[in-house]
Amino acid sequence: MENHLVQDELSALRASAELRAVTDSILDYAIVLLDPQGVVLTWNTGAQQIEGYTAEEIVGQRFDRLYTAEDRAAGRPQALLTAALRTGRTEDEGWRLRKDGSRFWADEVISLLRGAKGAVEGYVKVTRDLTRRHTDEEQRRKESTLLTVASVTDYAIFMLDPQGTINSWNLGAERAKGYRADEAIGRNFSIFYTPEDQAAGKPLHLLRRAQDEGRVEDEGWRVRKDGTRFWADVVISRVNDGNGKLVGFTKVTRDLTERRRAEEQLRQAEERLRLMIESVQDYAIFMLDREGRVATWNRGAQHIKGYTAQEIVGQHFSRFYPPEEISAGKPELELEVARSKGRFEEEGWRIRKDGSRFWANVVLSATRNRDGALIGFTKITRDLSERKRATDEMAERARQQSVAAELGLYALQTAQLTLVIERSMQTIRETLQIDDVRILRAGESAPPGARTVRILAPEPDAEYGFLAASASRPFTPNDVRFLQAVANVVAVAMARSQSEEQLRLAEREAVEERGRSVRIQEALLERDEFISVAAHELRTPLTALQLKLQGLESSGGFPHSKGERLGAAVRQTERLARLIDRLLDVSRIAQGRVEMAPEIFDLAALVRQVAEDFREPAAQARMAFELQVPEKVEGSWDRLRIEQVLVNLLSNAVKYGAGKPITVKLEEVGDVVRLSVADRGIGIAPDDVDRVFGRFQRAAPIRNYGGMGLGLYITRHIVEAHRGTISVASKPGEGSTFVVELPRLSASAAAGRDKVPRARA
Amino acid sequence: MTGPGCGRTVLIVEDDADTRLALAEVLEDVNYRPLHAANGAAALQELRAATTAPCVILLDVMMPIMDGRAFRAEQQKDPALSEIPVVVLSAHADLDNAAEQMQAAGFLRKPVELSALLATVAQFCAQE
Repeated sequence: MENHLVQDELSALRASAELRAVTDSILDYAIVLLDPQGVVLTWNTGAQQIEGYTAEEIVGQRFDRLYTAEDRAAGRPQALLTAALRTGRTEDEGWRLRKDGSRFWADEVISLLRGAKGAVEGYVKVTRDLTRRHTDEEQRRKESTLLTVASVTDYAIFMLDPQGTINSWNLGAERAKGYRADEAIGRNFSIFYTPEDQAAGKPLHLLRRAQDEGRVEDEGWRVRKDGTRFWADVVISRVNDGNGKLVGFTKVTRDLTERRRAEEQLRQAEERLRLMIESVQDYAIFMLDREGRVATWNRGAQHIKGYTAQEIVGQHFSRFYPPEEISAGKPELELEVARSKGRFEEEGWRIRKDGSRFWANVVLSATRNRDGALIGFTKITRDLSERKRATDEMAERARQQSVAAELGLYALQTAQLTLVIERSMQTIRETLQIDDVRILRAGESAPPGARTVRILAPEPDAEYGFLAASASRPFTPNDVRFLQAVANVVAVAMARSQSEEQLRLAEREAVEERGRSVRIQEALLERDEFISVAAHELRTPLTALQLKLQGLESSGGFPHSKGERLGAAVRQTERLARLIDRLLDVSRIAQGRVEMAPEIFDLAALVRQVAEDFREPAAQARMAFELQVPEKVEGSWDRLRIEQVLVNLLSNAVKYGAGKPITVKLEEVGDVVRLSVADRGIGIAPDDVDRVFGRFQRAAPIRNYGGMGLGLYITRHIVEAHRGTISVASKPGEGSTFVVELPRLSASAAAGRDKVPRARA
Repeated sequence: MTGPGCGRTVLIVEDDADTRLALAEVLEDVNYRPLHAANGAAALQELRAATTAPCVILLDVMMPIMDGRAFRAEQQKDPALSEIPVVVLSAHADLDNAAEQMQAAGFLRKPVELSALLATVAQFCAQE
């Protein structure tokens, strides 16, 4: 930073004060400042005159365009810069290109320009148009040169004879020294020197050196005609004749008062810089002497380290280091590194005057004089405590977040709430390095001074409790964030535990329910099995009984009254046999063993036939039968089963018909055949309507099988096995109407649904 | 069906004594000559001992010692007996299937209606 500033100022000063003033007034020399890359920085009047470009046109462009295409192709412009860089100066004579494309023969000197610290700042290119000299004869060149020299005002250019007597004068000389040509010519050049220099024999000494070395340069005070002094740069060059014999000297004097002014400005700039450095607050910028003792001190240093300049200047800089680093030889090591490498940089702890530590960025640079001798060190120290604190805080936060994430993962994998809570507490204790942390229920009081965070349930407004952590140190926002993160994990674990508990309860209930239903199923199977076995067992004795009674009845020969009683016994055994058949049907239905044997037949004929069978019992009950049956209704059903349905419905109607007429209706409705059996009897209570067709599958008590229920249960299953429906409309006291609807081809379709084997037709 | 000279003889193979007796009684009432056997093995003995082959065998399925199926298998292996028609008599639910498997001439479901019994037996003794 410091270097840049100085160099910038230097460049600016050089450009503005020194060069511009000098070069702008020169018309015959193109004097141009180039940057290290060859870009034109300044452009003087002479340059504009010779090369044709205005400053606006050329400044900022590379200087290559001033060269011919051949030269550019050959890399000549760069080669010249390289030569100047290597040797400090290079001279070249050749064709150059004007803006209008015309060529001129030029003499060109390119000199390397170095900054105060030796850094390359650029080049000065001085170009003269030598076209005339090159094309005309020598004399004209001389005249031209003389004219040129004569017109130069900023350089005092004049000739001396071998003894130092002035024999030519130019405008520049008149301007610089105040003598007119007639006043100066013929006098010894020593008149321009101060009395001290004259006493020391300096003028003569310079001439001798120029004579011996060909050229001598000197910078120093010179005296004008009016006695005022000016700071001058003087170059005295030996002039030989064609045979190499000394004929005199040229003397070019430049008034460097401007430059001195510039140097003064530079010093002021340096002073400003120094003041600036001193006033810098954020950086401790100070110098150490070669041994490491504090030599300068700025406000920043005072601000950061706490010492005033009076307190610290002269003290060894090691006092800024922590004791362990001093004993480890760190300060000396840093000086050594800066000495050998030029620079040392590090971040580390430093100690303030009050003994407190701060995290510092330190840059230690070796400072050397022009001869390269070490004169001390520059030390720039920045207090990074705030930055380090922020960084540390970020790191701590990241660490805590990762710990919280790890805890979350653990909670995810661990079903047991107590384990999650235990781990949470342990995590807090370890991460925050505190002793006491506990979970409290909402409403409980926390230990005094404890920091609390709430454990909030996922449901809004629900709170499980809170975490209370106690520590001797204050909790940082990070700590509180971390506590909250852990509290959230605990909350989720608690919520999960709760819902798992509910889930377990529900599961247990489901298992129990499943068990119940299995037991019910088993009980049902057992019962059906029992019914089946019982029915079979009953059939065997019934066979003997029925045969004997029927044999007796058919053998005849009984008195009338006894014959009546025998007939009743026969009917009762027949009824018993039918009851057993129904029981078997029920158990078969319950076990899914109903077998369908569909065949195509005329349902109308079947209805008529069954109705005919009931004619007699109906007549006995004095009931009228009304048949509304079409001529023929064909379809595919299980004939015996459908007959069973008809028998069941008609026997019910007779049984509960209360002696009122019964209507049996058969009709075709599209692909469906509808059979209805209506009585006007006692009807069915609304509560019982749903139960009429049985609740067998819900393990209804076995007593429900009795009477009407059993027949209708079987009926319903037969109808459903035909993919049909059965319904009843009834009002107590007004009678019941049972309606069966059967698809015409239902039986075969339904058979596919049944899991039972098909019976043979 | 069966050859002449079965002499209205009917073999009743039934383990339940009451049922066997009841069957015999009602058949005797209409002049059949029932033979008795309480199981398949006894039935084979009875057949081999008999001078006259019965017109028909009324065969129960579920019996101890030798059941109806085993008897039927033995009977079919014996050329002297294999031609005698068998009517299966059972309370078994899928009696029709069982009868078919046993290659029976017919079946009667228990409890047996007297009329059905007589009609069936008459079929095998009609040509007498």
